[in-house]
Amino acid sequence: MHADVVIVGGGVIGNAVAFYCARAGMSVILIEQQDILNGTSSACDTAIHLQSKNPGIHLAMALNSIKKYPALQKEFDVDIHFTITGTMLAIQREEQWEVMKSFADRQKAAGLNVSLLDPAQTLAKQPAMKGAELVGSTYCDQDATIHPQNLTKAYCFGAMKHGAKYLLYTKIRSFRIEDNCITGVDTDQGMISCRWVVNAGGVFAPFIGKMMGLDIPIVPRRGQILVTEPVPKLTNTIVNCAKYIAAKFRPDLLGNSVEDRLGIGLSLTQTERGNLLLGGTREFVGYNTRTTRQAMVLIAKHGTAIIPALKQINIIRSFAGLRPYTPDSLPIISTVPELKGLVIAAGHEGDGLALSAVTGEIVSEMIAGKPLSSGIDLSQLSLARFSREDIDRFYHKYAIA
Amino acid sequence: MKEDHLQEEMIICRCQEVTEAEVRQAIDQGCRSLKGIKNRTEAMMGLCQGRTCRRLIERMLSESPQQMPVTQSYRPPVRTLTLNTLAEAEEGGENAC
Ligand SMILES: Cc1cc2nc3c(=O)[nH]c(=O)nc-3n(C[C@H](O)[C@H](O)[C@H](O)COP(=O)(O)OP(=O)(O)OC[C@H]3O[C@@H](n4cnc5c(N)ncnc54)[C@H](O)[C@@H]3O)c2cc1C
Ligand code: FES
Repeated sequence: MHADVVIVGGGVIGNAVAFYCARAGMSVILIEQQDILNGTSSACDTAIHLQSKNPGIHLAMALNSIKKYPALQKEFDVDIHFTITGTMLAIQREEQWEVMKSFADRQKAAGLNVSLLDPAQTLAKQPAMKGAELVGSTYCDQDATIHPQNLTKAYCFGAMKHGAKYLLYTKIRSFRIEDNCITGVDTDQGMISCRWVVNAGGVFAPFIGKMMGLDIPIVPRRGQILVTEPVPKLTNTIVNCAKYIAAKFRPDLLGNSVEDRLGIGLSLTQTERGNLLLGGTREFVGYNTRTTRQAMVLIAKHGTAIIPALKQINIIRSFAGLRPYTPDSLPIISTVPELKGLVIAAGHEGDGLALSAVTGEIVSEMIAGKPLSSGIDLSQLSLARFSREDIDRFYHKYAIA
Repeated sequence: MKEDHLQEEMIICRCQEVTEAEVRQAIDQGCRSLKGIKNRTEAMMGLCQGRTCRRLIERMLSESPQQMPVTQSYRPPVRTLTLNTLAEAEEGGENAC
């Protein structure tokens, strides 16, 4: 077998890369050890979030990506349910107000449409919050939701339409490396010679890296979510809270309570079927994807405190997914000088859906040797931004037996 | 002909209204595991959490030429409960489930 590009990993990122490369005319083979959607991309929320992005390259990538989904929705054969809903970030305590205000100010300066709402304005937009003790909220009307599994499927079917081949339930034995250049992938389905390999393994990217002698600083950060029965429209927007933002970006600022150690922060979205997804946690527990009673209770407590209307709604299941977390929370989208023909596209933490389109475009342009249409500064996403010491410290900090 | 048409429209997962044809399509696209069927079609994710449809889907998979061993766990809650009941429950320790 031969392909211009072999992609390892059938999550949202691998499939987005497959789609953009195949559409640009490259021959593509995607290798997945199970079925597509085997990893984090089927154990996540539905947000195409702007308000949860740090101003700078993080927000710039999200803004670039979100503009692509309306056109992709028309192009795809699968309905990705892209819907602009807006996001409300609930603020529960006085001391959070100033922090959230300055976060919002920096986002406004970066071109985001964020406003500060007092309790009455908050309630008018979000009647389900009646009875909650809030000092206000920030609101952005540009955020959207998407159907996560359908997004991955849409990239996959689109890639196949442009000729991409999928090797599912396929085991990689080794990578063929000649003169510091990857030239092939040996699998239990046979040898594939290729010009490029893309490591899109999500939280498993470090294991794929190890097979090539590379250390990639990504660790799993677990998120637990409760799913309710379908109910009539309860929320007009995505809802998060100030604590969610703190848990995502500044876990060091959180206290030492059980809630804070689990990184409890509110996330609420509603699917087209009417099910509510209520989250969540940010925990470092290795590759453990179990849900815990403790987290479920605390998610319910925190959620019902901010949105009392949730109280009488039944939950029907719970799940946990592993966010691929890097030392600076930015993805690694990078070539590697010492190993020609390799691109890493992994480590999108809690932003993989939102950033999938721009990631697919960037990787296809890197491989084609074209200037990036997004104008994103790749040095900020390179593997080389982490020193040897950074990587050692990171692994030491999150080392899990 | 008529029978074929009926097959196509047959609902295999009542909670999620997933048809047998949709499951068949996923299998034809190379899916060989219950987890894959769930992710591709949303079957087994409804109110009954697959209690009604899982058996039928397992059978379809086992009849397909390249079947895989079936491994899929059930997640709590096994019974539905309101968020309020959950919010007022004992947290339990770090590892309680
Ligand atoms: C609780 C939770 C909520 C989230 N909510 C959101 C949200 O609202 N919005 C958002 O944008 N993002 C969200 N995310 C983040 C998002 O889900 C991830 O960033 C994204 O799914 C990562 O995609 P991926 O393709 O990199 O990884 P994955 O989906 O994990 O894909 C990697 C794939 O590689 C395969 N693989 C690994 N090793 C090998 C190998 N050796 N050979 C072959 N295949 C291999 C795996 O089987 C897997 O299928 C959330 C995450 C969690 C956990
Ligand atoms: S019949 Fe499929 S989930 Fe209930």
